Amino acid sequence: MRTRLVWILLFLGPALAALLIFLVIPIFASFVLSVTDFDVYALADWSRARFVGLSNFQELLSDPLFWRSLLNTLYCLIVAMPLTVAISLGVAMLINREKTRFKGLFRVIYFLPFVTNTVAIAVVWSWILNMHYGLLNWFLGLFGISGPNWLGDPTFAMSSIIMLVVWKAIGYNMILFISGLQNIPDFLYEAAELDGASGWQKFVHITIPMLRPTMLFVTTMMLIGYLQLFEEPYMLTDGGPLNSTLSVVLYLYRQGFRFFELGYASALAVALFLIIITITLIRMRLSKQVS
Amino acid sequence: MMKNKLVILSVFVSLIIASAAGATTLRIWAMGEEAKSLHIIAEKFTEENPGVTIDVQAIPWSGAYDKLLTGIAAGQLPDIAQMGTTWMAPFAAMGAFQELSDFIANSDIVDPQNFFEGSWQTAITEEGTVGIPWYVDVRVMYYRTDLLSEVGYDHPPQTWEDLYDAGKKLTARGPQQSGISLLFTGTFANEFMPFAWQNGARIIDDEGNVAVKTPEFVEAIEYYSRFFWDEIALKAGGELIHDFGSGAVPIFFSGPWMISMIRNQVPQIDGKWDVALLPGKKSQTSFVGGSNWVLFKQSRNKETAWDFIEFMSRPDIQLQWYNIVASLPAVVETWGYPELAEDQMLSVFGEQLLDARATPNIPQWGQIEQAISRRVEEALFQRKTPEQAAEDLHNDIVKILGKRR
Amino acid sequence: MVTKKSVIRETSVYAVLIFGAVVMVVPFFWMVSTSFKLPREIFVFPPKWIPSEPTLKNYIELFRSLDFARPFINTVVVAGSITVLSVLFSSMAGFAFAKFRFKGRDALFMLVLATIMVPGQMTIIPVFLMLRHLGLINTYAGLIIPAMVSAFNVFFMRQFIITIPDDLLEAAKMDGAREGFLYFKIILPLCRPALSTIAIFTFTGSWNSFLWPLIIAQDERMYTLPVAISVLAGQYGENIAIQMAGSCIVIAPILIFFIFAQRYFIKGIALTGMKF
Repeated sequence: MRTRLVWILLFLGPALAALLIFLVIPIFASFVLSVTDFDVYALADWSRARFVGLSNFQELLSDPLFWRSLLNTLYCLIVAMPLTVAISLGVAMLINREKTRFKGLFRVIYFLPFVTNTVAIAVVWSWILNMHYGLLNWFLGLFGISGPNWLGDPTFAMSSIIMLVVWKAIGYNMILFISGLQNIPDFLYEAAELDGASGWQKFVHITIPMLRPTMLFVTTMMLIGYLQLFEEPYMLTDGGPLNSTLSVVLYLYRQGFRFFELGYASALAVALFLIIITITLIRMRLSKQVS
Repeated sequence: MMKNKLVILSVFVSLIIASAAGATTLRIWAMGEEAKSLHIIAEKFTEENPGVTIDVQAIPWSGAYDKLLTGIAAGQLPDIAQMGTTWMAPFAAMGAFQELSDFIANSDIVDPQNFFEGSWQTAITEEGTVGIPWYVDVRVMYYRTDLLSEVGYDHPPQTWEDLYDAGKKLTARGPQQSGISLLFTGTFANEFMPFAWQNGARIIDDEGNVAVKTPEFVEAIEYYSRFFWDEIALKAGGELIHDFGSGAVPIFFSGPWMISMIRNQVPQIDGKWDVALLPGKKSQTSFVGGSNWVLFKQSRNKETAWDFIEFMSRPDIQLQWYNIVASLPAVVETWGYPELAEDQMLSVFGEQLLDARATPNIPQWGQIEQAISRRVEEALFQRKTPEQAAEDLHNDIVKILGKRR
Repeated sequence: MVTKKSVIRETSVYAVLIFGAVVMVVPFFWMVSTSFKLPREIFVFPPKWIPSEPTLKNYIELFRSLDFARPFINTVVVAGSITVLSVLFSSMAGFAFAKFRFKGRDALFMLVLATIMVPGQMTIIPVFLMLRHLGLINTYAGLIIPAMVSAFNVFFMRQFIITIPDDLLEAAKMDGAREGFLYFKIILPLCRPALSTIAIFTFTGSWNSFLWPLIIAQDERMYTLPVAISVLAGQYGENIAIQMAGSCIVIAPILIFFIFAQRYFIKGIALTGMKF
């Protein structure tokens, strides 16, 4: 029996209308804006925006700051993703061990950073990373290491950002890994033990393959999330020094909402969108090939 | 008879105005420290003008540019606002400000002659006179007298050679001791440009050409960078006032607001520091900025808003304002009051004001400022030679100006 | 059977776990501790873990002269409204997608699914222009409306409701119940775990949301907490201890909320991972 139209409209209407207005239409609008020179003058009077074809994209391709921001973002992704996976999987396995006590407590503690406001905790981190008065360099000093100028040195600034990013992401991924681990049936391990498999062999031949769905989810979410890096560099370095921490979204924000080059910023948004889609599809294709 | 009627009429009119004014709320945007204290002076205005209420909204400097831009774009503006002098041109070009010539012509209080010449210039853009100076801000050198005399300077360094030499000796005091604090990242064109001016360099020459490839400009980049190359200035964000107090940073350049901050936050160094004119080469030019009042075109209370601007331009009010936040009066007459004339530190600011420039009043200054910072940053991090940096900056600026329409 | 080897192993396991836990907790501890310090104890070396004269001065300054109460209230209003609306609309839509029968339902649902993949930055500029045109910049509506429906929440609710047996609904329908009745009397009560999951995540997400409020809330009076703290940190010469106090105000409510509702958080995340 079909549902009456009135109910369909009533139940689906609000959600679909909102998605249409705030998601679907804006996506198309982004494409439209990206081929205009919409800027601060057009903001005062929309008719001053002109169609400029693909010239925003041409400019983008020859814009060293765009490439810089893209490389920075990819660098963050390439370093932070394996780090996050390794640490959160490691922690998950340690907590998930039968013998480990205080499981609940550890889980909560590792999870704390994830629910924390990035902007506010970045303020704390920038104080911890302070070259002279920061906790981190004091700690390194205990071991006779004179800590670097974390936020002021272009070779370390991105590492500082990655530190914060990973610190925040561990808890969330750890929870996902724990629930993935719990879904692996015990008999697989028991059988392997009977065959005399070592801990490492069990990890490689049972844990990793059995975690594949979790891994796919975790890495896909991470790809999408890390490619949108914004709050950490915005708060810690504002993209500096030497633009070494300028991320694509930070550059988009700067062009769009500091200089109000909204046409150009839309081109950046479209480019980012295409990059995210491409990388995600590659990721999914890869995982299909493996399985 | 006629006269009586006129009197009655004028009483009547003023009653109408008063009752209309009874509903008048003057909305003001103000920034930073000024915003926190503006209500004190605003109360005096409302005492003189009963029926007007003033609604001051504080905007932190960090977010002010964005906010004004979007405010203008979104048509969400107050009646008047404090406007940083370097921001006059871009916002004027968007047509947000009321041109004030007619108001000025009819005013007994506001007269261009009453203000510092350089300061008045900051209010003039291609759109005409769109602002009235409120206060000026000029950078001078803050230095620790005790630490400088330890390295052999019983007088402040007053030449480029002296400054570099003093900085070098101060740095040699030991680990974590630096010679000077200079900005190295973010937007720091206001900090850098005085060095260029001191060497006779300009961004745009008298013919309107970009002039940053000149040897003078290149030399300024090199001089500024050398403090970083030789680790006299640190590429690290610290806590400036605390570091000045501890002696880790014995020299820095800043505006008048720093005096009270140092006195309040590090009282232990009272008597061990002073201010002096910037060290110079061909000149000792500093950066003059400050804030102007602007009246927005869309304001519905223009007359009341203008009354407020006139009120703020009165020498007695300028003095009171100086007494509250210690920002330097833009009205020349105010400097004759003993509070200013007899203050030794302040007289340095007065003297520096005679040799101070503002950055060019062009709408694209924001983008140019970013380009200057980016290129000088590349030089001081030794990614580019000063010549290459100047070359790239030249191309940047040509491109930015080319976009104009 | 305790061997030497296993003792070493157990010890190192706990050493690693505890070291990690300390790294997780230290920033919070340092933030809280510094927020109660007087200026002279901030720059002390070696660091002072516990202030010798704890002071409330920083918090008083924060609320008195920096007026942090206002962004606090704004954040509660905005995050609360988004949560209520989002839970309501996405459970309704989830119900429709799971149990209603009509032509094009699955195609429509696929469309909704596709939008999950779209990064937020893609929509920010057009939505900003749209809201500006409608005069919603700097309003609660501007902060709330664009965030009130999330495609993910719709998807999540649909996946949950689809597991509710049809028989239950059919039986009620036999008795003449309409869809509205089914929704309130059957679906909502059965969906409580899913509802609390999306409520918790939506609330946390909107409390922490930054880029959108940064663009929309230009008026100090409309600032949310993250925007307020970012502005405070950018302010020249602002005291470190006050910044830490501000961070505490932003972080503490969610942290306390999390500690009480941690089971839902953790279960919820495991659940979202499973549903894919």
